[in-house]
Amino acid sequence: MTTEIGQGITVDRTGETGAFGGELLTVNFGPHHPSTHGVLRLVVDLDGEQVKRIKPVIGYLHTGIEKQMEALRWQQGVVVTDRHDYLSPPINNLAYALAVERLMGVEVPPRAQALRVIMCELTRLSSHLVWMGTSGLELGAMSMLMYCFRDRDTIMDMNEEISGFRMHTSYIRPGGVFADATPRFLDMLDRFTAKTMTKNVDEYEALLTDNPIWRRRTIGIGRLSAEDAKVLGATGPMLRGSGVAWDLRKAMPYSGYENYDFEIATSDLCDCYGRYLVRIKEMRESVKILRQALDRLPDGPINVDDRKMLPPPREELETSMEAVIHHFKLFTEGYSVPPGDVYVAVESGRGENGCYISSDGTHKPRRVKFRSASFVNLQALERMALNHFIADMIAIIGTADTVLGDCDR
Amino acid sequence: MIPEALVVDRGVSAGDSWLTVDPAKVHDALSALKDEGYSLLVFLTCVDHLLDSSRNWPARYELLYELRNLETREQVRVRAFVDGDPPHIDSVHDLFPPANWDERETYDMFGVVFENHPDLTRILMPDDWVGHPLRRDYPVGGEVVEFSEEHETWQTAPEKA
Repeated sequence: MTTEIGQGITVDRTGETGAFGGELLTVNFGPHHPSTHGVLRLVVDLDGEQVKRIKPVIGYLHTGIEKQMEALRWQQGVVVTDRHDYLSPPINNLAYALAVERLMGVEVPPRAQALRVIMCELTRLSSHLVWMGTSGLELGAMSMLMYCFRDRDTIMDMNEEISGFRMHTSYIRPGGVFADATPRFLDMLDRFTAKTMTKNVDEYEALLTDNPIWRRRTIGIGRLSAEDAKVLGATGPMLRGSGVAWDLRKAMPYSGYENYDFEIATSDLCDCYGRYLVRIKEMRESVKILRQALDRLPDGPINVDDRKMLPPPREELETSMEAVIHHFKLFTEGYSVPPGDVYVAVESGRGENGCYISSDGTHKPRRVKFRSASFVNLQALERMALNHFIADMIAIIGTADTVLGDCDR
Repeated sequence: MIPEALVVDRGVSAGDSWLTVDPAKVHDALSALKDEGYSLLVFLTCVDHLLDSSRNWPARYELLYELRNLETREQVRVRAFVDGDPPHIDSVHDLFPPANWDERETYDMFGVVFENHPDLTRILMPDDWVGHPLRRDYPVGGEVVEFSEEHETWQTAPEKA
């Protein structure tokens, strides 16, 4: 018996009564199961050990981020965007900053754009490293977590050097970036991209790519055809792992990504192993982008020269009355954004993370909506995990790489 | 092409093109746009224009459907304005499967009822939650903090029960 789950996609629900002659067994998987990468609850109908139906129950990490944004002034909202997809804060910052800038009609200087790209690519690396470490841990490659967190820690150190924070950097802000790159940061980045990371990605591949346990746990598991992936709205490595070359950095470039030379990582395997290969390739491509950004880092200002949007430098406050007025207005009332609405999409480690802003012309947003990749990708879970064993579902949730903070917002 | 009869208004906002359709015909309009090649529903959401004097809004709730053509990379935002308590509009989950959860979220947060939705239940808030948090008349900080002292008294059954 096949059941349609929309759009002509049918799922096989044969054996509804159970191959063992009994009824289907309903099991609550999560919300606190460590392999759900957060707090995701799945109501799973099992026939023996085979998954026959999955109903994801989300909302355990709902923190009302969109409501909070409405109560914060435009420049304060950045801090909240960090906490939404907590594995890629600068990428969320960028989506929000680009949206505000487009409404204001300003464009940031080239150095700020390059610094934004550097931060986003570092974050993509750290996000993929967390993914690889935890997925390895779940699928029997225990040491992966130690190796991956070693490199992630280097990235955290760089975050700390450039922004003062290790995780929630709030580095990218409407109008530019928080601070200029220090020589020490550029030095760290140079060492990281030239030596450490290229060598270490090879090391990860040596540990996993031909690892018989890893291959047995991922090849042929969680198939998602290209058509299904498109229809279900999947983005990011989920879509590229199904052979569709769609990457927002290439398809709809932002922040100067059109000036970098890199390839879209795809895999035709359409399974968990394909998604793993895509992420490995993306890590190599990120290192390539970082190299180029570092080599061609332009000089110049890191913020837009607009006193109505960003505070004046400290020196000016001592001599200019106008600077004091601007400073006072910015820190009491904030700036207002012209009425209108805009949607900006950026490519995060998980897929398309977008920010929709509707402004009513006041100093606070009327509505901020985050389009999160995890929320949409999670809907493809049933399609991927059906008729697999429950243990394979771990691999499938793992390679879908949902971040529940992103999903529940 | 989307029939002109379905379009009420169109324009460009900060570089994004948009068109407004009659809320009763939103399903037809999206179906026409889908045939035109806009195959991906990027997101679906709602904006509450309560006490918004920046423009002359036809109704309180603005439903938004961001569509993308994956071949030409064009995007279009479809708007539909609805009023009422609760406001009603047709579901589009049969055209775009990702709309399923988006509509549940919009129902949860704004109380917009999507007709013909297969499972219109709360998705982010607890099932027994009262109110729709993203409405503009829903206060920030109005809820009782869980595990606090107030919560204790609130949760305990009355003495005479």
